[in-house]
Amino acid sequence: MTATSVQLSVIVPVGSRYDDVSSVLDAYQTVLDGLDVDYELIYVLDGPQPDVLEILRLEQTRHERLEILQLARSFGEATAIAAGFEVSSGALILTLPAYFQVDASELGRLLEDKDDYHMVVAHRWPRAGGSFEKIRRSVFHGMLRLITGQSFRDLGCGVRLFDRAVLEEISIYGDQLRFLPLLAQRNGFRVLERDMRQSSRDEYRGRYGVREYLRKGLDILTVFFLIRFTKKPLRFFGMIGTVLFGLGALGLIVVVVERLLFGQALADRPAMLLSALLLVLGVQIGALGLLGELIIFTHARSLKEYRVERIVNPAVVASDASAAEG
Amino acid sequence: MIDDRSNIPSPTRLSVVVPLFNEEDSVEPLYSAITSALESFSGRYEIVLVDDGSSDKTFEIVAALAANDPRLRVIKFRANFGQTPAMAAGIDHAIGDVIVTMDGDLQNDPSDILMLVKELERGYDLVVGWRFNRQDKLVTRKIPSMIANRLIGRVTGVPIKDNGCSLKAFRASVIKNISLYSDMHRFIPAMASVVGPRIAEVKVRHHARRFGQSKYGLSRIYRVLGDLLIVKTVTSFAERPLLWFALLAVPALAAGLVLLLAGVAPLFAAGGALSLPVAGSGLLLLSLAATLLCAGAFGELVFATGDLRPHQFAALTRKRFPANDVPPTGEQENLVQ
Repeated sequence: MTATSVQLSVIVPVGSRYDDVSSVLDAYQTVLDGLDVDYELIYVLDGPQPDVLEILRLEQTRHERLEILQLARSFGEATAIAAGFEVSSGALILTLPAYFQVDASELGRLLEDKDDYHMVVAHRWPRAGGSFEKIRRSVFHGMLRLITGQSFRDLGCGVRLFDRAVLEEISIYGDQLRFLPLLAQRNGFRVLERDMRQSSRDEYRGRYGVREYLRKGLDILTVFFLIRFTKKPLRFFGMIGTVLFGLGALGLIVVVVERLLFGQALADRPAMLLSALLLVLGVQIGALGLLGELIIFTHARSLKEYRVERIVNPAVVASDASAAEG
Repeated sequence: MIDDRSNIPSPTRLSVVVPLFNEEDSVEPLYSAITSALESFSGRYEIVLVDDGSSDKTFEIVAALAANDPRLRVIKFRANFGQTPAMAAGIDHAIGDVIVTMDGDLQNDPSDILMLVKELERGYDLVVGWRFNRQDKLVTRKIPSMIANRLIGRVTGVPIKDNGCSLKAFRASVIKNISLYSDMHRFIPAMASVVGPRIAEVKVRHHARRFGQSKYGLSRIYRVLGDLLIVKTVTSFAERPLLWFALLAVPALAAGLVLLLAGVAPLFAAGGALSLPVAGSGLLLLSLAATLLCAGAFGELVFATGDLRPHQFAALTRKRFPANDVPPTGEQENLVQ
């Protein structure tokens, strides 16, 4: 199969969580074969996984469209997908988890909705799980909505179909894969979240401990900084800094006035220490904001704030000879 | 101050940049007003319209116009990114040696364009319009704007009577080298001050809004003040962050030393005790001075890794004696005929 005929590149990152490799592969393969598109299937092994590799190598004899990419160490899911993206050639990218998440037979419906959008992501619905889990999920997504103003209900789902342009423009790293729909939308891509039946075999086997909650909390913080802070650092840090500085200054004034008018000795006023601390903190946070502005200002030419969809009558770049004419 | 020799190649290649956001009623009259105003223009020109993610028919209308006019370029944004990014995109995609920007709501009069260009050709880098008979509401628009202009002039040292007027003409090489982000289109003259431009201000006509609603309100005052602070700090301290942070650190250092000494002094008197709050506050302020100095050093690192090179700014506006300098030009591209 020649690379140029590929329309759809399917990328499956294999990390620490995966279901029976052959049956997942078969489920995907069956559906993909049923769609009327030329596709390639890229499995990215995130770090050495000899047993998975062996199974996939065997499968390769049956599935000619299957490609395997083995990373030398574990880089994380975002980098695994980016690595798969680099070797892919389709105009459309579909990421799928290496475990059962949505009912595979529904994948075709993602393509149906793709026309009007740059990205279509799955929302597992109806969703299994106890009521406690439901509350936990809605709190997480509710907080994200509060911060970003965008409402996504299932960022944990790895089933996403999008244009090549999305990953070309947005570089994801660390834990940002989960927020790809948010980041895409912020870059002006039209994103649709679509209900899809959850696979009956989708269950998270780990337990939600303190660690998981900490991670979710950090995730929210990450998005908060990505969305709010990256454009106007001084407005954000400046506000916090001004409030702290103001409180500190107020406290100092009170202490000094009491000293002057009522003769209360400064020496035994812990309030003075607290005020000085707030004052110092306020200036420091404000200084961070200034540094942020400096970074934006000195890099502004590479940080374009707009995204062009299309240009009518684009500039004709002519040779120097014709430019000199007239 | 003005050169006899204009540093704009002749005949002038002109780009008119207009950001549009939901202006379906205005675009057609705007287009015909610009084209008829430029009929008498001796050089070549292009019109760059930027559709800032309009939700109405703006793009369809201008795309239809562009199909019949190769001088009309349309940049369509994927979503609404704001007026400054739209202005920046138009400037990035313009290929003229002179760039004129204006609003898409017909409040600026396209027949003023050639006057601005003529003024620019006298040797200025930047010609800004002044809406001397502004047709807007007094309380919500004119008075706040008057105060803002005074303040901006005082703070930035670029006294311009009307910063909010979008009708401006630029030498392309100058404006293309100035970073425009956030809501900076209001501060172009101030942001341009890093280049040391020759600025002229001319009176332009201003009309009352004919279509649609004004897209601003009083809410922008807060944003303007914030941006003013940013413009002031970045334009004046970007090149020497360590010095600036050191200046901030000096009062903290002085106050910290005084307090520390005052707090420790009683120890030397008979039976005196160390005053913890006073000495502690002094130590805090000293630590503040230290962090500020570190922030300054960090700033130097940021500047060194950034893409701002002051000598490039200097090259844009320098003069040589004897005058045999070839003015730096933008990309060598052809205007659409």
